[in-house]
Amino acid sequence: MRTETVLPTRGAFRGLPAFVWTEVLEQAHEQLATATSMVTQGVLLVFVYILNPGLLGVALAGAVIFSTFTMGQRVLNEAAYIRIDYKANDLYLASPLSPEAYFVGMAGGILVVYATPVAVLGVLAVLVAHLTLADGLLLVVVAGTVWLFAASIGYILSTFFRDNRAIWAYSSLFFNVFGVLPPVFYPIGLFPEALRPVALLMPPSAAAALVQGAIGKATLSSGDIVLATLGLAVETLVVFFFAIYWARRTVRGV
Amino acid sequence: MTGEALRSENLRKVYSVRGAAPVEALAGVSMTVRRGERVSLLGRNGAGKTTFLKIASTLLRPSSGTVEVFGVDVDRSPEQVRPFIAVVPQEGKPFFHLTPREQVYTYLRARGLPRETSKARTEEALQQMGLVEIADRLSITLSGGQRQRTMVATVIATQAPLLFLDEPTIGMDPFARRDVWESLRRLTERGSTILLTTHYLDEAEALSHRLYIVERGEVLVSGTAEELKRSVGGSMQVSMPEGAPYIELFRSFGPCLADGSALEVRVDPERLSEVMEVAARAQLEARMEPVSLEEAFLRAVGRSIDED
Repeated sequence: MRTETVLPTRGAFRGLPAFVWTEVLEQAHEQLATATSMVTQGVLLVFVYILNPGLLGVALAGAVIFSTFTMGQRVLNEAAYIRIDYKANDLYLASPLSPEAYFVGMAGGILVVYATPVAVLGVLAVLVAHLTLADGLLLVVVAGTVWLFAASIGYILSTFFRDNRAIWAYSSLFFNVFGVLPPVFYPIGLFPEALRPVALLMPPSAAAALVQGAIGKATLSSGDIVLATLGLAVETLVVFFFAIYWARRTVRGV
Repeated sequence: MTGEALRSENLRKVYSVRGAAPVEALAGVSMTVRRGERVSLLGRNGAGKTTFLKIASTLLRPSSGTVEVFGVDVDRSPEQVRPFIAVVPQEGKPFFHLTPREQVYTYLRARGLPRETSKARTEEALQQMGLVEIADRLSITLSGGQRQRTMVATVIATQAPLLFLDEPTIGMDPFARRDVWESLRRLTERGSTILLTTHYLDEAEALSHRLYIVERGEVLVSGTAEELKRSVGGSMQVSMPEGAPYIELFRSFGPCLADGSALEVRVDPERLSEVMEVAARAQLEARMEPVSLEEAFLRAVGRSIDED
């Protein structure tokens, strides 16, 4: 039997770079989408600039975090679309490419393509908010963590959709509500004090609060910092590993 | 490794349906596919063909029973099975924003094949599927048949030891279908094994070493196309437009069907000359032709429905 070049039986993430590249090619053909992915952030930044230009730095840092958060919606759309419309997921899942590599590869490809406009926002944030290197690194780390959280949530949610109409109607709901309402584009100090722990437990606003605290735009107690850091880290890890488990489980039907 | 590429034993799959009675898609399917064989699953829509393929290709869990691929249980060890299989999903489409060349190449790379091997196999598969001229056009601009050819090229290029193809030639023109048949024959000559479903009975007959007819989740009949035709009473058919009054002369040769004044007699090829002699003695106009697989299929499935 000619099996010598049919690889592999081991290595859960073998083939991952190739699948990331597949997604990059697929997404990159819609170049306009990378620009339109910034529309919501752009509109909110204009509002902030008109209402209070002094908050533009905070809003720009928030826009970076919001951008990586909404990549989860793109993962949701892509995963559901490939499964429901292309029916091409079986091609990949009944192959040596592991289910977790399929999920991470899809999320990774989307990150690569949509990273450019996010990087532009990041540079603007550095310039406007006068971020130090440490602040900039903090922004990259929390925004990356939010991406991992959102991509995982997006992939899990995608498995529950059964038709494309439902995706169009509901996929943006989660990401816009949790990305816009909490203090992501505005300082956490403007958020009702009683609800502060809730904001610190939601990954996008926890990430934003940590950056706001670092650049002196929010006053965070050490308890707030611990809650936001631990909340962001633990929730991301839990959701990511659940997404890995879920990816494996849903290969053979939920 | 066993001498069989695939073996299923009493495979059952029951789907639970919200607010309705459970649906039994497979009711105890047992079958074997030997290495290097091309085997077709035939059946009406909803007969259970796709469910079987999904379980065998590790994409669905059975309710009970087993499927082994090269001796490995697909339910217990799907990760061990997946490197040895490739699947053309039913109604699957290539990524619309990839070209056929990108689709095939990136898929091979995602399977873990080396760069040079992937390149060579991509070009070979594009050539075999007649896709070279459109290999660099985005799939979104291709016709349905061209997209389907891209899907088949993607899977053929893997040269996986066991290929599952769920209606692989749907939407293709007759030339493209023959390209696919030729490619599949070439793959089995190289040692691959193929299990496919199709509604095109000419395709099943031209392509398959053996066939399984599935109805309501059960294997009704299996064998070569010739054996299936014989199972309806003979692989040849003699039609006599005015033969009905003479039906008793022909009953001993095989099943006879009178329709108005016409008579059809199914007969094994060895006894064909005897039938023609009897017809000539009775001065009956007679025309002989092979029984089609479609007729055998309709009879096998129809008989099963009648028995219910």
